Amino acid sequence: MSLIEIKDLKVHYPIRSGFWNRITDSVRAVDGVSFNIEAGETYGLVGESGSGKSTTGKSVVGLEKVTSGSIMYKGLDITKAENRRKLDYNHDVQMIFQDSLSSLNPRKRIEDIIAEPLRNFEHLSKDDEKLRVLQLLNIVGLDADALYKYPHQFSGGQRQRIGVARAVATNPKLIIADEPVSALDLSVQAQVLNFMKKIQREFGISYLFISHDLGVVRHMCNNIAIMNRGRLVEIGTRDDIYNHPLHIYTKRLLAAIPETDVNSREAHRASRLAVEQVYQDQQSKYYDDNGAAYPLVQVTPTHAVALPQTIAQQLASQEGEVQA
Amino acid sequence: MWKTILRRFLIMIPEVIVLSILVFLLAKAMPGDPFTGSINPKADPAQIHHLMKINGLYDPWYQQYWNWVVHLFHGNLGNSYQYQEPVTRLIGGRAANTLWLALFTMILTYAFALPMGVYAGRHEGKLPDTIIRVYTYVTYCIPFFVILVIGIWIFGYVLGWFPTTGSISSDATGWLHTFGSRFYHILLPGLLGALFGTVNIVQYLRSEVIDSKHSDYVRTARSKGVPSKDIYRHHIFRNSLLPIAAFAGYSITGLLNGSIFTETVFSYPGMGLLFVNSISYRDYTVITALVLIYGILNLIGTLLSDIILSIVDPRIRIQ
Amino acid sequence: MAENFEQHSDISAADLARLTQEAQAEATPSTAKIIWSEFKADKPAMAALIIIVGFILFVMIGALFINTPKMMETNIMGYFNQPFTADFWLGADSAGRSVAKQLIVGSRNSIGIAIGLTVISSTFGICWGLISGYFNGYIDWGMQRIYDFMMMLPMTMMIIVLVTIIPHYNSVTLTFIFSIFYWEGTSRLIRSRTLAESEKDYVAASKASGTSHWKIIFREIMPNISSLIIVDCTLSFAENIGVETGLSYLGFGLPSQTPSLGTMIANANDPNNITQYWWTWLPAALEIIILCLSISYVGQVLRRAADSSQRQGSVN
Repeated sequence: MSLIEIKDLKVHYPIRSGFWNRITDSVRAVDGVSFNIEAGETYGLVGESGSGKSTTGKSVVGLEKVTSGSIMYKGLDITKAENRRKLDYNHDVQMIFQDSLSSLNPRKRIEDIIAEPLRNFEHLSKDDEKLRVLQLLNIVGLDADALYKYPHQFSGGQRQRIGVARAVATNPKLIIADEPVSALDLSVQAQVLNFMKKIQREFGISYLFISHDLGVVRHMCNNIAIMNRGRLVEIGTRDDIYNHPLHIYTKRLLAAIPETDVNSREAHRASRLAVEQVYQDQQSKYYDDNGAAYPLVQVTPTHAVALPQTIAQQLASQEGEVQA
Repeated sequence: MWKTILRRFLIMIPEVIVLSILVFLLAKAMPGDPFTGSINPKADPAQIHHLMKINGLYDPWYQQYWNWVVHLFHGNLGNSYQYQEPVTRLIGGRAANTLWLALFTMILTYAFALPMGVYAGRHEGKLPDTIIRVYTYVTYCIPFFVILVIGIWIFGYVLGWFPTTGSISSDATGWLHTFGSRFYHILLPGLLGALFGTVNIVQYLRSEVIDSKHSDYVRTARSKGVPSKDIYRHHIFRNSLLPIAAFAGYSITGLLNGSIFTETVFSYPGMGLLFVNSISYRDYTVITALVLIYGILNLIGTLLSDIILSIVDPRIRIQ
Repeated sequence: MAENFEQHSDISAADLARLTQEAQAEATPSTAKIIWSEFKADKPAMAALIIIVGFILFVMIGALFINTPKMMETNIMGYFNQPFTADFWLGADSAGRSVAKQLIVGSRNSIGIAIGLTVISSTFGICWGLISGYFNGYIDWGMQRIYDFMMMLPMTMMIIVLVTIIPHYNSVTLTFIFSIFYWEGTSRLIRSRTLAESEKDYVAASKASGTSHWKIIFREIMPNISSLIIVDCTLSFAENIGVETGLSYLGFGLPSQTPSLGTMIANANDPNNITQYWWTWLPAALEIIILCLSISYVGQVLRRAADSSQRQGSVN
């Protein structure tokens, strides 16, 4: 059984208009998303900004009011607040935020920030708690003198590590990492990603890794879901997505990864333009009449794509994949 | 646009209803009854009982409230026992005085505040700006009634430049003389109110001017060689004019609240003084009517401002 | 799990204590420290602060030595006694009562009510604004409608009417009546800041850490707007002095046997008093002006201290 099962998750925001201010329409931020996260794995959720990936992540932590659908954890639907309370859900599921400065309360010392989940869930003695916080600082590679400092005294990379320390404080089963490194310098990104991996190995944590950066995702994730306009367009293993992309949106994202090989610059540019041309010409094939993605169909046991059955099979055979 | 205004009106309706219920209940809670003083104190209790009964004073409160509202819609606010005349006529005579003074104060306020605000913003950080800021700050933090008392003492009594009581001198004849005398009587309270009420407009205008001074469209105009006088007149000032106009509505609220003090200090026969006198004489019908009228005027003031602001800034249109 | 942590810990209890001290020495200056250094850098502000604190202490203690009922007795011998004499060094009013003594007791009463009013109305306004801003949606909508309604009420009139309805009132009931009507400004200010603050990720992080709503509101958000709260309280204190004195001036504040700065200024309502016997009311009027200016000035300095870009004092 999977660690967490997300089923047909929908988050709609009402649009009110007209004289009586009734709900006339809604923004479908997340519109029917289903996927499972296994224990100990890093699951990548990729999409452009506004695709609903952060909203999905927040729903999984319980920060977003879900319109419909379910998120099953330990046999209970945690979209309901009482179930979250019953399970002490956030003891097991934590979050790392994108903006490290805004996610740390500027008026609190690092000790109090990291100890916050401990105080709510573990009720340790004063000394135990302090020791635990020091251990956590040690894990993320910060010195003990950080304890009494305030967030603004640290660099962006250090702050993000503090965010990680807070997230792992209760030794959770799953951490939602919402673009954890996209606000950081490239050199610092690698640092933070590496010790996130280290922590994963040591504690057996699962990550839901949300990012728009396919390069980073390739480094981190075993399974990947591509999100577009509130729906999933493609799900697969790292190999499925990077080597056998089926949906045009996935192909576009892959084409947009910057290439450092100067010699093949022209070739790269040509392939990028080709993908863009296909996208412009064949939009109607990949999206339904309302511009939304189709339901997912399975092409191999690990690989699914949001296309009508016939087109999916046709594309899959072109890519040389074995039909399921 | 019209939808916004209409919707704003609809929100007003429950507010007015709640206000009227509140006012009615407060009137009920006041000690004494409406006949106090109007009938012979030695009257037979049975007779009072009878009077109370035919006037419906033993009915449940909601029925009495309903009767009161029906009367209200017929323009019948009852009789003032202190003046022995219908409240409608009594207030009608005073309302003109109050509104006339409020309007005059408002015009003067704008006349002082607009140039000060623009000037302070234009010379940001320099001496005139500092002086204007200190001035607005000083005027803002001194309680207004203290200013009035000191003002009437210096200019009314010691220097004798202005009349200290009433709204018109008793010997005024002919319309020109009448008008002149009225104007003379509101000059000092109006000036004091205006000189000490500029702070909001000046501060708003100043920061608006400073903001737009650094905005791209003003820089563009400047780099095209538009003279700076024209920039201030055509670009900056015109842009901030509507929001400034919107302050008019809010300042009505402030002026009405202040009118109680102004009219008491200057013995100026407006609604504020009438209210203070009616409280002393426990003239409940007048008190109720005045609270209701002031509440509705406040409401209209904020409504006006909200509407002007919603025209200017679509972001704050009410949902 | 515990073993996992043990691997990463090589810190002893002694080290811990030493680090605690070191880090505390290096920690950022507290709000109080910043404000204090700001006052040290600004001499006029320091003077204003000393005037206020010294004056309040003086009247609070001085009033203890004055027998108010005895002071308020009519004394024919002192009828409009001139000021600057041995018996009445600020003169006496129409009932021969010492203006200086009335001033001390009156200041105590007026300032006391202003402080009480500030405490009650600001506490209420802060809670209202925080709750309204934090729980968006229907709660906020409902609270905003109540706010709109309160804004529409003619405040001064409502207070006067309430004062006439309540048969027996003293300074405490009076303070509560004022408080009903003077929380709106604070609440609007706090609400708009809370709305902005609730959007920040640290609030989401606290929610995800299982912290309760009330704890988030009062322990996470409130400290972040504390400087705004301090500034607002100071400025409302200055305004609130005008509230009670104004109504007492009209005759609807403190009862006439309880001296207040407002009732003293009301002496000016008599055309004779205002020019001939100026000492009966002018000291009270000047006192209010100086007090309000000093308090607001302190408020301005606090505002500057809250805005790090405008600070004049340096903090180490």
